Amino acid sequence: MRRILALALRDLKIEFRSRAGLLSTFFFLGVVLLILGFALGPETADLKRAAPGVLWVALAFAGSLLASRAWGLEVENDTLDELLLLPGSREWLYWGKFLFLFGLLFLLALIVLVLVAGMFYLPLTAFFPLLVTVVLGIVGYAAVSTFYAGLVARLSTAQLILPILVFSVVVPVILAAVKATAALASGAAVADVWPWWQLLIAFDVIYLTASSLLFPFVVEG
Amino acid sequence: MLSIEDVWKRYGREWVLKGVSLRVAAGEAVALLGPNGVGKTTLLRVAATLTRPQRGRVELGVDRSELVYLANPPAFYRHLSGFENLKTGTLLFGRPADRAAVEEALKAVGLPPDKPVAAYSSGMKKRLALARARLLGPRLLLLDEPETALDAEGRALLLDLIAEVKARGGAVLLATHDRAFAEAAADREVALS
Repeated sequence: MRRILALALRDLKIEFRSRAGLLSTFFFLGVVLLILGFALGPETADLKRAAPGVLWVALAFAGSLLASRAWGLEVENDTLDELLLLPGSREWLYWGKFLFLFGLLFLLALIVLVLVAGMFYLPLTAFFPLLVTVVLGIVGYAAVSTFYAGLVARLSTAQLILPILVFSVVVPVILAAVKATAALASGAAVADVWPWWQLLIAFDVIYLTASSLLFPFVVEG
Repeated sequence: MLSIEDVWKRYGREWVLKGVSLRVAAGEAVALLGPNGVGKTTLLRVAATLTRPQRGRVELGVDRSELVYLANPPAFYRHLSGFENLKTGTLLFGRPADRAAVEEALKAVGLPPDKPVAAYSSGMKKRLALARARLLGPRLLLLDEPETALDAEGRALLLDLIAEVKARGGAVLLATHDRAFAEAAADREVALS
């Protein structure tokens, strides 16, 4: 556990110092929200109706830019071999990289949440249940992204292939997250959202378990 | 200690290693010599378990936690300082990352602790790699052209490291083009062709 945390914290430190991935992601996020705002507005009711979908579209698209960062850091620094030489099973590498990507996506999600609340009138009255939905959604997203990003890390076309691989698998998570967010935005009780949360938890558990078990076999020096 | 038996490795259709066998005993340093493209680096990567051979067997004789491989050029995180690279690297290796020990290791190779690796020269990166190896205290040390980019003082530090590993009963396998260095560093030379 100590090594998993150390790996995630080290990667976050490098990412915040280099800023390359974060800056491009935040710029892209701003552009996506602006375009969607112009396309769906200016009526408040239309913006409000679209808000849950906008939240997850913006998060998924902007997140796809961050998805490759977990292993991109190693490729840029040519340190992938050093990482693979670390003793022990390679499962812990997956968990460290997952935690790193989850941290980045969580930060991104908080910013998207605030921006969508401001621009698309997404009600934040049920903030805690909304936060639970966001966390459950990005756990699944980060689980799949970390796995596939590791799989294609050494390919020159990794940036092109990764979103296709991730989106094709992560669609159920995004759909369930949109439904849960829409229900919360319309004032539904937590009990009504629970089935969507159960679905999200099931996907998260399956993706995390399968990815961490398969990871040592797909990552090669 | 290290045993490589009948190793065959190909990239695409081209065989780089064809039935290579090699043993490095405890307390011994062996130098791999040979022209470019003969498979020295590939053999080191196979020995380091970074690349799987198509055929053959590799027995490290030590746990993976006792193996250190110094690639050429050595790889470090550019946005971290030498100190941060060593500290987190040691921690991730599963060893206690004692601040004083890391600072001592950097001092021993003549590197400033706070300078980011992005500002390091090639020779400084090689010295940082030596500091990392000293800190981890391996029983099996694999070195790929370790002498390149090092000045006379750096080479002396490298020879000290090799002597240290041997004195601990460890084994060293190094690849080099420099016959004079091979003679100074190794007990035995093996020519790959």
